[in-house]
Amino acid sequence: MNVKISLVANGLEWAGEVEPRLTLADLLRDHLALTGTHLGCEHGVCGACTVLLDGQAARSCLTLAVQADGRQVTTVEGLSDDLLPRELFQCGFCRSGFVCSAEALLRREPLPRAVELPELLAGNICRCTGYEPILEALSARLPG
Amino acid sequence: MPGYLADLAVPGALELAFVRSPFAHALIGKVSGPAVTATELGVGDLRLGGHGVAPWPWPALARREARFVGEAVAVVWAETRAQAEDLAESVEVEFEPLEPEAPLRLFERTIDAGAVEACFQRADHVLERTFSCARQTPLPLETRGVLAHFEAGRLTLWSSTQIPHILRRGIAQALELEESAIRVLVPEVGGGFGLKAHVFPEELVAAQLARRLGRPVRWIEDRRENLLASVHAHDNEVLMRAAFGADGRVLAVEADLRCDVGAYSVYPFSASLEPATAASAIFAAYDLQGLRVSARAVTSHRCPVGAYRGVGTNTAVYVTERMLDLIARHVGLDPLEVRRRNALRHLPCTTLGGRELDSGDYLELLRRVESVSGYEALRREQAKARRHGKLFGIGLALFNEHSGTGQSEYRSRGIEEVSGLDACRVRVTAEGRIVIHTSSVEIGQNHAPAYRRLTERMLGVEPGRVDIEEGDTDVCPPGTGAFVSRGAVGVLDAIAGALRLAGEQDLAPGTDVTCSIDPKQVFPSGAHLAVVEVDAVTFVPRLRRYLAVEDCGTLIDQRTVSEQIRGGVAMGAGKVLLEESAYGEDGQPLAATLLDYLVPVAADIPRIEIEHLVSPSPISAQGSKGVGEAGTIGAFGAVANAVADAVAPLGAELLELPYGPQRIFAAIQLATTSKQKKGRRPGG
Ligand code: FES
Ligand code: FES
Repeated sequence: MNVKISLVANGLEWAGEVEPRLTLADLLRDHLALTGTHLGCEHGVCGACTVLLDGQAARSCLTLAVQADGRQVTTVEGLSDDLLPRELFQCGFCRSGFVCSAEALLRREPLPRAVELPELLAGNICRCTGYEPILEALSARLPG
Repeated sequence: MPGYLADLAVPGALELAFVRSPFAHALIGKVSGPAVTATELGVGDLRLGGHGVAPWPWPALARREARFVGEAVAVVWAETRAQAEDLAESVEVEFEPLEPEAPLRLFERTIDAGAVEACFQRADHVLERTFSCARQTPLPLETRGVLAHFEAGRLTLWSSTQIPHILRRGIAQALELEESAIRVLVPEVGGGFGLKAHVFPEELVAAQLARRLGRPVRWIEDRRENLLASVHAHDNEVLMRAAFGADGRVLAVEADLRCDVGAYSVYPFSASLEPATAASAIFAAYDLQGLRVSARAVTSHRCPVGAYRGVGTNTAVYVTERMLDLIARHVGLDPLEVRRRNALRHLPCTTLGGRELDSGDYLELLRRVESVSGYEALRREQAKARRHGKLFGIGLALFNEHSGTGQSEYRSRGIEEVSGLDACRVRVTAEGRIVIHTSSVEIGQNHAPAYRRLTERMLGVEPGRVDIEEGDTDVCPPGTGAFVSRGAVGVLDAIAGALRLAGEQDLAPGTDVTCSIDPKQVFPSGAHLAVVEVDAVTFVPRLRRYLAVEDCGTLIDQRTVSEQIRGGVAMGAGKVLLEESAYGEDGQPLAATLLDYLVPVAADIPRIEIEHLVSPSPISAQGSKGVGEAGTIGAFGAVANAVADAVAPLGAELLELPYGPQRIFAAIQLATTSKQKKGRRPGG
């Protein structure tokens, strides 16, 4: 039994019928062609699938599409490239998740302390960079 | 190519799902449901010629019996992955569980060089230990994936692979197609680390089904499959004996390596990969008078072991460096001093293990580690921390590794499936743009800046005029792909060669030249230092500081080198502290999610200090050496020693990776109980 939902993704309205079991990640990737959101584990650990749901970070692999009904979804495609530019990464697969996590973090807490960044971003796995370029780019934005 | 494999939009593509064995060893009976089994699929094996290994190929789908948990037994397809998974669930397989088979020996490598016996007789001390290097997995963030389409007699295969040409060859052989009837395309790759340098059963299945169904067929691996049934790494047990003098000079080493290579021999490297690389890497940075190694690959009912960043060198450096620290402790010398006394002094030279070391200055590496880390002050800091009850450890590693293995080396090992050549084709378009195609692929190493810089340096062409197109077997020259850190060796030499040829034609539009190189192994080296603090209550080890002094010859692009080292160190630290693909007694995997298979997150990795030393290689044309693996390899020594050093005051001796809280706790307990026993009087 499909369910009617509507949501706003990166500022554009979308409405349609979805299977109740459809994840938000699959909705975004397969139905809205927003393939910038990546899937690294599909069980809520790696953070690659992170998106913003009403401005807060959410694992789109653990969120059902029906839970996003009536809400605002922002994916990496809807965010600026400047926060964490592609050059900071190697394979780049983790980037979308980091961009969304960092964006959510800065919205919630505009001035985190640089020393706290590693803990604040501990929900995202990167296998290539050793994290330093990502953390440095973010701390460079903070005063002091 | 923009987008990763799962992002490719291919209308009409069917999605595959595999039915996998829940048993470590079982006979496969009746399969009911809408599934295709091995018999119906009709795909040959990926045969490995030579290698000096017993043939033990990994079939596309298990035939009579399944040999490890996760092995693909049947395949189903549907319009969406979710539907395919439903179908897979509906398939019933009658398994008849079997007892485990006795391990088979697939490969053996021995080294017996120098005066081993005499050294052991003459030595003041002999230490013997058994180390184990846990079974682990490379775990790129993007899992495997393949998309196959058969059209007008030609197979197009998109694969998240490090080895497009080897993949083409493997598929051609198993499906009995001409290589020219196959085009392999590599989209963006979300990390490889060696895992994607194999031809996998699922790729054969997808290719064959695309041919049979006449529709594009895609398979995207999920993380559980990746953790259970892609490839694992290591799983080695090493019994090591070292003979040394009271001055800490090591005279000779004996090592016996047992490498559990899992259920099958992987394509194209075979089961020889771990034992062969580990054997020659034991004590390879040190001056010995005798070396005897016996290394063998044995089967088990576990996931096949394949390539991983550093391969057998990780194990070799781990056991070598741990042993040196135990030796230092035994003779009461500082670990840095013991390394200084034993390091190879006169390069180039050939080691007893047969490594033809081309260049390097190992004493200088140690000097740099000493001065940059402020070693003496660090030891004072440690003494102070210990007085305050802290478990504070400092660990060192000195090592070299092989990079850029070429054709002659592979042939001498009997390996036919790996070309060993690196190649580059340079084209000049009608608009005057320079297009560089190589036999390598981009998997996150960031080739473009290095290639562009070389073009600028050699031909004075501004970087904006240079395009790089890799990962398409129709336009790229055949070669080996991207592994064994060959980028800065053969690939770069081939690019330089092709650019030179293009320059000779004045870069006239229409120029189209190719250069192919058979690289010879060159040996980057490094000295690393790690500082670890182990929580005195929870025994959780934390990496506090890391310094890598690396020497990969001439630096082509310093930023890329540093990125490779840093990422490699972080990975290696994870391997030492966290990662383990554990199995239960019954052959059931214990790490099937990322909650069981732990990898480092940002909070686990400190800022990594990197220093460069440059000993240009006299062999590679640019003087450069590979750098993709050095970070990981060094961490296997330095981080392990740092944890061990942290808990050494408690009498604990760590031998089994990973050095997580459980192992640390067990080692401390063992030390306490044996102390109590010693303290007890006989009969009391
Ligand atoms: S894909 Fe959602 S957390 Fe990994
Ligand atoms: S850049 Fe590859 S996982 Fe982060």
